[in-house]
Amino acid sequence: MSSFNSEPASVLDVRGLYKKYPAFELKDVSFSLERGKITGFIGRNGAGKSTTLNSLFNFVHPDSGDIEFFGENFSDSEFDIKKRVGFVAGGIDYYKNKKIKTITAVTKRFYESWDDAAYKSYINEFAIDEEKTPGQLSAGMKVKYALALALSHNAELLIMDEPTSGLDPVSRDELLDDFMALCDRGITILFSTHITSDLDKCADDIIYIQNGKIIAETGMDSFVDSFRLLKMDEEPSEGGWVTGHARGIKRMRKGYTVLLGTEDAESPDASANGTIEKADLEDIMIHLEKGGRNNG
Amino acid sequence: MADLLRKEFKLALHPTAIIFLALSAMMLIPNYPYYVIFFYTGLAVFFICLSARENNDVVFSMMLPTEKGEIVKARILMAVLLETAQLVIAVPFAVIRQNMDMPGNQAGMDANISLFGLSLIMLGIFNYSFFRAYYKDIKKVGTAFVKASTLVFVYMAIAETCDHAVPFFKNVLDTPDPMYITHKLIVLAVGIAVFVVLTLAVCRKAAESFEGSDIQM
Repeated sequence: MSSFNSEPASVLDVRGLYKKYPAFELKDVSFSLERGKITGFIGRNGAGKSTTLNSLFNFVHPDSGDIEFFGENFSDSEFDIKKRVGFVAGGIDYYKNKKIKTITAVTKRFYESWDDAAYKSYINEFAIDEEKTPGQLSAGMKVKYALALALSHNAELLIMDEPTSGLDPVSRDELLDDFMALCDRGITILFSTHITSDLDKCADDIIYIQNGKIIAETGMDSFVDSFRLLKMDEEPSEGGWVTGHARGIKRMRKGYTVLLGTEDAESPDASANGTIEKADLEDIMIHLEKGGRNNG
Repeated sequence: MADLLRKEFKLALHPTAIIFLALSAMMLIPNYPYYVIFFYTGLAVFFICLSARENNDVVFSMMLPTEKGEIVKARILMAVLLETAQLVIAVPFAVIRQNMDMPGNQAGMDANISLFGLSLIMLGIFNYSFFRAYYKDIKKVGTAFVKASTLVFVYMAIAETCDHAVPFFKNVLDTPDPMYITHKLIVLAVGIAVFVVLTLAVCRKAAESFEGSDIQM
């Protein structure tokens, strides 16, 4: 039995994760999560978000790397760690035809810390009918049911793989409100998404993965503030100042937009080529994914 | 393990598994290859694993505070309990069949103690073959069943052929109880031993291969 007496500041530490598939590779994925914060794990489809998250809970075996939850190695303390973490992998797609109350009755027996009163409270708060089956729940309600299960065993860390995927804007907004309320109660949340507005609304920190490699791990505000958008009427010339400093170039209906680092954007060369504006996360993501070349 | 076993019966159990247990009554059919009755449990195990795949049982189980090896052991233990139930339920029907005022089974081995011993060997072979293949790739449950059922049918064919061609089978094992009771009890003991050894072996090997496999969602 492992001891969790000393509580490290970081609830999850991932170091040097490698996983090679024939057509895809995770390369030196490292990040850590600070207690009580919401961290968005962002990247385009196929960037490696799910592979990384599935590695955390041993669904996928990394070729190398270390994973520590609460300062304990996962493979040494899998049983104890799982009691403290709520993991929602790929939506609630299990036992779609069994009643919610049956699934709950089975689940709760695995947790000594199960709090029935808290469960009833979440079920009421989320308006989940226990007589229904997961197949009868909407996508948003499925995620909320998963949250209710995780919170009823007092999970300190919630890891969710694309929980907002497939949700209508209102349900998504409600779910993000729930995340923020949980965060206020000291729960740490890591969720992957490719929907940038999710992170605009609630993320404290951001981990950005591109082609299996982490390209940013920082505070949400400082990440967004480290880029500016240059709007140009003409296509940036090959070999010019703009193409030399561009982090991404995108053609618009009228003109071009160029993503620049904030320091570069403050240069007179930048303002000489167009107007500088603040970039939002979606601008940053789209331009970074397109890269420095003009992809039309 | 008790919680995982409860999960198996509450969530993973396919209803046909219970219906198949009632087929132990087929022991009352006067002339029938009785080995087939015990093969139904193998079919039930296949349905359970097939249904588990469609219901993402492994994803659900892996999110619980369990270890991968324990998930394997719980599933195999459920299969063993079903197989044992099928055998135990068959016992009174076998006794009734033996006391029917008619000749012994003309289609194969009589419903006697030897049949139970030889059927346990068959179930041990099924368990080893099925779970060994299944836990190498849980998506390929059909492949595992084809491999296991092929072996079982070959075993049945050999056992029934021996019943007609090998004097020891014909004159000693295929007789009403309690004739040659010592021989039959030895066959039963061997059957239990083979069943236990093969099932324990596959428990270890399947847990190892499942532990090392990636779960694709």
